[in-house]
Amino acid sequence: MSVPAIAIRKLVKRFGETTVLQDIDLEIPEGKVSCLIGPSGSGKSTLLRCLAFLEEATSGMITINGEALGFFEDANGRRERLPANQIRTVRTKTGMVFQQFNLWPHMTALGNVSEALKIVRKVPKAEAEERAMTQLRKVGLENRAGHYPSQLSGGQQQRVAIARALALEPKIMLFDEPTSALDPELTGEVLNVMRDLASDGMTMVVVTHEIGFAASVGQQISFLDHGRLLFSGPPAEIFAKPRHPRLEQFLDTYLDRGASMLA
Amino acid sequence: MMFDPQVIIEKLPEIASGLFVTLWLWIAGVLGGVVAGFVVATARRFGGTLVNAVLGAVVEVLRGTPFLIQIFLLYYGGPFVGLMLDPIPCGLIGLTVYSAAYYSEVFRAGYASVPIGHVEAAACLGMTRFQTISRIQVPEMALIVLPPAINLAVILLKESAVLSIITVPELTATVSAIGSQQYAFLEAIFILAIVYWIIVELTDRLGRMAENRLSRLRFSKA
Amino acid sequence: MTPKLFTLLLEAALSTLGISLISIAIGFAIAMLLSAALLTGKSIYVLPARLFISFFRGVPLLVQLLLIYTLLPVIGINVPGIVAAIVGLSLCTAAYQAENLRGGFASVPRGLIEAADVAGFTGAQTFIRIRAPIALRLTFPALVNEAIMILKSSSLVSVVGIIEITKMAQDLASSTYEPIPIFASAALIYFVINSAIALLGRYAERSLKGATA
Repeated sequence: MSVPAIAIRKLVKRFGETTVLQDIDLEIPEGKVSCLIGPSGSGKSTLLRCLAFLEEATSGMITINGEALGFFEDANGRRERLPANQIRTVRTKTGMVFQQFNLWPHMTALGNVSEALKIVRKVPKAEAEERAMTQLRKVGLENRAGHYPSQLSGGQQQRVAIARALALEPKIMLFDEPTSALDPELTGEVLNVMRDLASDGMTMVVVTHEIGFAASVGQQISFLDHGRLLFSGPPAEIFAKPRHPRLEQFLDTYLDRGASMLA
Repeated sequence: MMFDPQVIIEKLPEIASGLFVTLWLWIAGVLGGVVAGFVVATARRFGGTLVNAVLGAVVEVLRGTPFLIQIFLLYYGGPFVGLMLDPIPCGLIGLTVYSAAYYSEVFRAGYASVPIGHVEAAACLGMTRFQTISRIQVPEMALIVLPPAINLAVILLKESAVLSIITVPELTATVSAIGSQQYAFLEAIFILAIVYWIIVELTDRLGRMAENRLSRLRFSKA
Repeated sequence: MTPKLFTLLLEAALSTLGISLISIAIGFAIAMLLSAALLTGKSIYVLPARLFISFFRGVPLLVQLLLIYTLLPVIGINVPGIVAAIVGLSLCTAAYQAENLRGGFASVPRGLIEAADVAGFTGAQTFIRIRAPIALRLTFPALVNEAIMILKSSSLVSVVGIIEITKMAQDLASSTYEPIPIFASAALIYFVINSAIALLGRYAERSLKGATA
């Protein structure tokens, strides 16, 4: 059995007194789409942000393709922070897509996508822009390359953000509720781009409220509640009846958001 | 009483030299203040709680006390701690420190204006803190900080007149000295006021033009 | 630096406070007049008000003080130096306060003014009962800031010989040869007063908000 794309071991995250994540153990297989679902406040976004190293876990360890992310913890629980340049190297193996897009407003779409190639990978400008164009083409926005974020619709902005995250050719893509900030009619174009990525064999971790997307594209579904990973498995198993009462309750609230297909 | 500005205008070369001192002290003070203020704001943001608290207290004291008192402390107090300064270097240091305190607040607001997610996006793409500051945060805050930065520059030009009190040979000192020599003090002060008024108005306009240019160049947030 | 010297500085601080408060109050009254003039939209009122604001915001306070101090006797007004100082500070702060109020008046919702019109208010009544109170509430934080600015700026009246903290500190420093403790004490007094104003301002702002909410 090969190394999992992401391995999470005994992950704990506390903000002051509050425990947001409690002993999370999860392996995300390579080339699969893994969806994190759960009610708001369940800790699913925090877990994803730990994977992007935007939050530093209180204890436990994360490995990306077998390499420790941020901290190395030995068998005795002794924890050591890794050097900054190593953290940067490991974290660029993942690409992150945010709920709020977070495009840089002072750069065009092309600028947003090519920036990291130019200044992190030191790729010459012309080549960086050519590679950026390839990514923009992938999300169907090559004709918007010269537009600034403020000139793009929400769906287009999110697609540029996906292209930006793809620019460094990460092995894994992380999505934090990528369609939650979008008008309903714009979610489709973003979900389609994500479906294309999935069929290309990209490893993806998706925090989402789109139960329909999770059920149809997800190959591993993890349900979090109150900071605990209640269960994880293939959708057929997770959504099969009888369901766990907490999941049942959760799905009830999402019936009109695509979960009706599971009713 | 006759109002005869002629006797003052005859002294144009002297006035020009005073104006020159005012202008270069002002520009140097503003540039120094911008650089130092940016460093202070950056140190406060990234340097941890202690650095933030200490620098914050220093900035509050500088903003909460009159410029004149600060200058007196530096000029008259300096020699007691081995800091003998001539009026011009003393004025330059005083003006720079004073403006740095205010500019640091401008940049602090600037940093706060950049959404945290924009910085996180940069971090996820492997940018170093320096790259994030120079490529993302500074350009993004530029439009936000420009109007208060220009306002502050105008305020500093006016504050620089205070340096005449410690005999810095700038515009106010020069022109009022001419006024006393020529027994035409009112005329001198009148001309002085007009000159400042013109520079302030010009700076204001230039600033507004720059803002317009910039906001057309960059796209404002939707 | 003896307690006696510090007491002298504290006494002088009363003078600083008095000068500043009176100037702020007079300045506020003038600023309201300027605002009313600007709101008439008639150039006969608007232009002089604009010129006034531009001039007093465009010239260093020190130069304004020197100008008023020299000008008043020349045009036959002989008043004590302290009055000239207060006139100078008041005119200056009036210009700044008017500029702040302009922003406040501009953000008074149009509908409120129209409602007053419909209710049969005269222009003056609308100004006094509707526009001014709302604008004042909106610009209150700026007013507190301006009070702090004026308190600091009042140090400049020392130049025309008025005894307040700065002048007192200067005199004490030259007679005792202890400039550092004396100027530092003066700075401390300014800082404490300003912090108190800022604190009071924040407190008042909260109660104002409470009243509107």
